Amino acid sequence: MGSDMTFYETLSERGVSRRDFLKFCGSTAAVLGLSSTFVPALASKIAGAAESGLTPAIWLTGGKCTGCLESTLQARYPNVADIVLDLLTLNYSAASMATGEYALEAKKKVYQGDKPFIMIYEGSVMTGLGGNTMINADGTNSLNDLESAAPYAAAIIAMGQCAVDGGWVRAFPNPAGATGMTEYLRSRNIDTPVVNLAGCPASPEELTAVVVQALLLGTDGTLESGIDAVVDDLDSLGRPKYLYNATIHDSCPRRGHFENGEFVYRYGSEEEAKNFCVYPMGCKGPQTYRRCPMIRWNDSQSWCVESGGICIGCSTWNWVDNNAPFAGRHRRVGAARSGPLAGWPLHGGGLHPIATGAALTGVVGAALVAHGLGMKAAKRVGKNATLKTEEMKEYDRKRLKKQGGAV
Amino acid sequence: MPGKLTKKSTHPLFVFTHWTNAVAMLFLTISGLYIAFPIVGGLMGVARGTHFFWMFVLLINILIRIIGMFTIKTACEQGGEGYDWDYKNWFPQKTNKHQMWPMIKYYLFFKKEYPITGKYAGLQKLAYWLSIILTFAVAYTGFAIWGPTQDWWIFRIGNEIVGSLFGFGGGDGLMPMRILHHWVMWFILIFTMIHGYLATIYGLKASKLIFMYKDD
Repeated sequence: MGSDMTFYETLSERGVSRRDFLKFCGSTAAVLGLSSTFVPALASKIAGAAESGLTPAIWLTGGKCTGCLESTLQARYPNVADIVLDLLTLNYSAASMATGEYALEAKKKVYQGDKPFIMIYEGSVMTGLGGNTMINADGTNSLNDLESAAPYAAAIIAMGQCAVDGGWVRAFPNPAGATGMTEYLRSRNIDTPVVNLAGCPASPEELTAVVVQALLLGTDGTLESGIDAVVDDLDSLGRPKYLYNATIHDSCPRRGHFENGEFVYRYGSEEEAKNFCVYPMGCKGPQTYRRCPMIRWNDSQSWCVESGGICIGCSTWNWVDNNAPFAGRHRRVGAARSGPLAGWPLHGGGLHPIATGAALTGVVGAALVAHGLGMKAAKRVGKNATLKTEEMKEYDRKRLKKQGGAV
Repeated sequence: MPGKLTKKSTHPLFVFTHWTNAVAMLFLTISGLYIAFPIVGGLMGVARGTHFFWMFVLLINILIRIIGMFTIKTACEQGGEGYDWDYKNWFPQKTNKHQMWPMIKYYLFFKKEYPITGKYAGLQKLAYWLSIILTFAVAYTGFAIWGPTQDWWIFRIGNEIVGSLFGFGGGDGLMPMRILHHWVMWFILIFTMIHGYLATIYGLKASKLIFMYKDD
């Protein structure tokens, strides 16, 4: 953004009308749970922040597939969310800028400078082999990168499930020692606040919502003054409450079919063509906290369940281990973490919860049959039963007498 | 089983709650298994409706049974004439509190003499307490995964604990809670099998009394 242009001039140069911008403010207000009366305030805050100066940000990466960055850059044309994200001047982005000495200098300048900065971290923290599971071109590793910047950041936005808890990279057997940002910082006694944006990938709307929330709550119109207030309003898992306070199921467009008992039991069936509820196919919507039905994906075009798939619970903790097989109603149970059977139960088989329960019940049933045969053999039951009750009565009498009671 | 079982051992209300338990468990088990594993299509809505209806029936029923425990008097011993509040049968009684260990030895074939017990034997008292605990456990785990109630703080706490214990990394824990809910059902079935076995191994008189309210 050129500093000699007003915010709205910049918008129009990038093909975004004032009307588009206000529409964006309206939808962002909705994501934040605000009424439409907040839209003018929101618009002026964003415009004001854009004109008063930019907050430096660096986008570091750990073990990842770059999906979160792809997701953030997915716009077909410069959309409004991109421009709001321009409020953060992305001085360094490991995955999307040409690397080299210049880039490294730019990065260092941010975290060695005086201005508070935001660190966006995408991907899991790779702790395996002392951090050497991910090595930079200059010979340092991703942990060096992280630790040289993290203590100085105003806040860290953990972008996507990998940064939140290790994500799919952490899935068994996890040879890279992938873990989440919060967990890692705690282990290193670094107390920089973390905002978790759970989900695989995180969506640009979620990142935008956090940026706008910080602007709204900031005291002097800058982003960094509001980030503390954002951090104060996180849920117990470190996520912004308004983004993760409802399940997919709560506002699913197929919810009506669920309540009516109209379900898809097989792909390619008539029920599927009617867009019935995909719960029997293994949809994890009822147990996944996220706002996909409202925010949707790819410029709000569609999302997993709307396009006919199931929700695989990508914003739940360690979601691959916890939710696989994705098309199953339950995950498999019984994980051998080491030894010759390592990995066997979780991936490529495993024990089905119904099979384990039924097997246990069967064993007890067989034991009862055996016991019954024993009772018969001991002549305790049946026509010729000889229960020795008199001896026991005598035992009871003696015992009660000893205790001073009457029979 | 020595001793006589008479109508004084129970009460029509308990015959009613026992029947209700049996029917509710049957419907809940079948509908629950279907919800977990819809082997044929077309019945998910019916199964869910059935599950919720009988869930409330079971919960109201157990409350009635517990209230009855404190407001109805029954015989304390088999064939005995002494009446007292029903709840006292659920706790160790003076005449039989020392008999639990002999009872265990008897059923493991280490002891030949059958201990003379109260109306309920020591192990039986334990098992009946377990049945109440299991009912509450199945209700708790069920509400913890049910949309309308899973966000109540009391269930959220449970989900977070279960998630940190069995969830491969913590979080909401709704998947492990779902599996726990499923397994509590199997535990209840195991309880029911043992209960049915011990109640009928000496004959049908206990069953006649609790199902048909008929004397020995």
